[in-house]
Amino acid sequence: MTRIPPSQPPSISVSLGKIREAAAFRLDNSIPVYIIEAGSEDVMHIDFTFGAGQAAEYIPLLASATNMMLTEGSLNYTSSKLNKILDFHGAFYNLYAEKDRAGIAIFFLNRHIEKILELAREILFQPVFPDTELKALMKKRLRWYLVNRDKVNNLAMDQFFESIFGKHHPYGRQVVQDDFQNLDPAILKDFHSKYYTPAKLAIIVSGKIRKDIVILLNRFFGEMSSNGITPSESGNVIKSEDRKQVHVEKKGAVQTAIRIGSSSINKLHPDYPGLKVADVVLGGYFNSRLMKNIREEKGLTYGIYSVITSLIISGFKVISTEVSKKSTQKAIDEIYKEIQLLQNVPVEKEELEIVRNYMLGEMIRMFDGPFALAESFRSVWEFGLDNEYYYRLARKIKTIEPDEITDMAKTYYNIDDMYQITAG
Amino acid sequence: MISYERFTLENGLRILVHEDRSTPLAAMNILYDAGSRDEDPEATGMAHLFEHLMFGGTASIPEFDKHLLMAGGENNAFTNTDITDYYITLPAENIETAFWLESDRMNLLDFSQKNLDIQKNVVIEEYNQRYLNQPYGDTMLIMRPLAYKVHPYRWPTIGMDISHIRNINLEKVRNFFFSHYAPNNAILTMTGNISKDRAIDLSKKWFGNIEKRNVRPRILPAEPEQKEGRILTVERDVPVDALYKVWHTGPRAGNDFYTLDLITDLLAGGESGRLHTKLVRQKKLFSEINAYITSDIDPGLIILHGKLMKGVDIHHAEESVMNVIDELKQKYAVSTEMEKVRNKYESSNVFASTSILNKAINLSFYDLIGNTDLINSEVELYRKIDRTMVMEAALRYFDPTNCSTLYYKSARKS
Repeated sequence: MTRIPPSQPPSISVSLGKIREAAAFRLDNSIPVYIIEAGSEDVMHIDFTFGAGQAAEYIPLLASATNMMLTEGSLNYTSSKLNKILDFHGAFYNLYAEKDRAGIAIFFLNRHIEKILELAREILFQPVFPDTELKALMKKRLRWYLVNRDKVNNLAMDQFFESIFGKHHPYGRQVVQDDFQNLDPAILKDFHSKYYTPAKLAIIVSGKIRKDIVILLNRFFGEMSSNGITPSESGNVIKSEDRKQVHVEKKGAVQTAIRIGSSSINKLHPDYPGLKVADVVLGGYFNSRLMKNIREEKGLTYGIYSVITSLIISGFKVISTEVSKKSTQKAIDEIYKEIQLLQNVPVEKEELEIVRNYMLGEMIRMFDGPFALAESFRSVWEFGLDNEYYYRLARKIKTIEPDEITDMAKTYYNIDDMYQITAG
Repeated sequence: MISYERFTLENGLRILVHEDRSTPLAAMNILYDAGSRDEDPEATGMAHLFEHLMFGGTASIPEFDKHLLMAGGENNAFTNTDITDYYITLPAENIETAFWLESDRMNLLDFSQKNLDIQKNVVIEEYNQRYLNQPYGDTMLIMRPLAYKVHPYRWPTIGMDISHIRNINLEKVRNFFFSHYAPNNAILTMTGNISKDRAIDLSKKWFGNIEKRNVRPRILPAEPEQKEGRILTVERDVPVDALYKVWHTGPRAGNDFYTLDLITDLLAGGESGRLHTKLVRQKKLFSEINAYITSDIDPGLIILHGKLMKGVDIHHAEESVMNVIDELKQKYAVSTEMEKVRNKYESSNVFASTSILNKAINLSFYDLIGNTDLINSEVELYRKIDRTMVMEAALRYFDPTNCSTLYYKSARKS
């Protein structure tokens, strides 16, 4: 095995090229459509998205139940018929109800577009919310819930959101068993009539786009008019809980889940790109400080990550890990130690270079292919931003200085502001 | 149509290239023909632990990740019963960095006691996190030794027991490396923005000098035919009862694989699958139910699992499952239903081919099982399956004597 290793090949520093822009149109009734043309396969992905997420709900589970009931029967189709036709056409769909947005995203082969659009209109605008289906769904979901609440990471995450956003805001409110019995078709219909309206719809199309896409979208969605109902502003106010440390007991758990973090600025704030870099140094990639220390040097965990996430009216940053019960305090101490290091010692040149290149590489991956492009488009569009945000982020990644990273850490990782949640 | 080129270096390294100029990125996948089936029964978990050690650096490149990140790359790996697979995506102009790193660690790893000790702890925490500290997480730890008595598929890839991982020492690690990590036991695949010529040149430059190694011949005991049904009941602190049933199948490259895969789609593909329609929607016996075939190279399993609704008797639930399965043996599937599962396969195949990384991983695997062209021809194989093939396969494989059943019961009083 005597082989003289050839020397390291040169690698060029990574940079983000020009991002493919979405083409913006309006349908005849002014529904906005964004088209992202890319890819060589004859497939498309259409995201029909509404501001109908949890933030809008007036009782727990309302947003997700309304969303999941969309495919449970419509004016012209039973749920089994709807699903049979979608499956027959090889379509994959994803009903989603996130903290801010809800809707349906459908993947399909281009040749089936007309059928898919017809069904999408049916699902989104003609659902009937049958009582028996709703009851069955909620019973089923209660069982899923019980299984999920048996996992320490869910227990910790649910408590984390409650602690940072408060018990009364939909961002933070924890679901309890009784919530599964409190919904009836009338409430869902009411929510649907307010939030799933043509006026609240945006359509994001990506893939190898058919030339007649605008004509087709107009045919199926361009003539609808909204019912004129404007929901009143929700009176929900974010108010963090006072208790900074909460432990959720889980009998017999082998590991403890740890969540440390707080609410945070979002993409709209000028500091966000800098904070993003600081967060990656701390725990945002495989070679991060938290990973190196707690996994690669101490072997305390399978993984530890830090993420920062933007929500429309807030945001949060959270460090997540699962460690053996006996190592819990040690891991927590090390997490705070790493935060303090980031606040007090400027990042070395080499480490910063690694982070810059890693993050720019990630940005290239974020825009690679039609579906990645669509996702990246949506995640700025929903904040009223455009690709300028990404160019700004890329510039910050390239130019940020070590001092700015320590400043970000001091400002946004103030340990006294941190919530520390454990479950296990 | 995915076009690719295939060639072999003198040292036995197989190389595949698929050029896709629509992306600024390139992917490199390196598949080692070594998985948990190649482990010593006394030292299970070795192949997967080894995957962790592969990131621990070498004498010439002590930090693997650092250089890849510097080149804007991202990497990961997975281990299963049959293979260990490492993959990288990075901006195409920096692809040579991937060659440098992968050839270096194929050539020789730096086996350090410290790295071994730490990665053993990491893997033990992975064991805890994924298998012991999740409701139902230990299912396959129980199911495998129930279904397999002889073949190494009887233990899970993570390892039969934590003590096996604890007991692995440097000597075992070294042996595993020299008997499985070799150019003549690997498939290197490049996809994305890279030409065939450049891929060949770089492969020769970086991998061409690594010597052939004596790969340990694979002699695995065949699993004897199962003669009677096996049943096991366990009680655990979980919220709801769950039912698991598995049936032995044929090998991955065998004739029946696609028919059985299509059968599991009839049963459990999408919301309109038979099990979901009949047992979740109509009879409301299960809150969720699924069925799939493993892609194991040696004869694998069809795995069916479901979680029960409150108050449902597990034997009644099982009987209803068997009624759905027996229907496959008694009645031909109607043509629209057959067409549905074929269409669904076709579109999932098209979606998968939108990713250069997926294409790299799939090309490598198909090449390993001896038919690289499956990357293009699999859709046709599904199209050829007819209703009589479905009925014959159902009759042959869904035999009660070929089945193992696990009643996973909740110990909680509700």
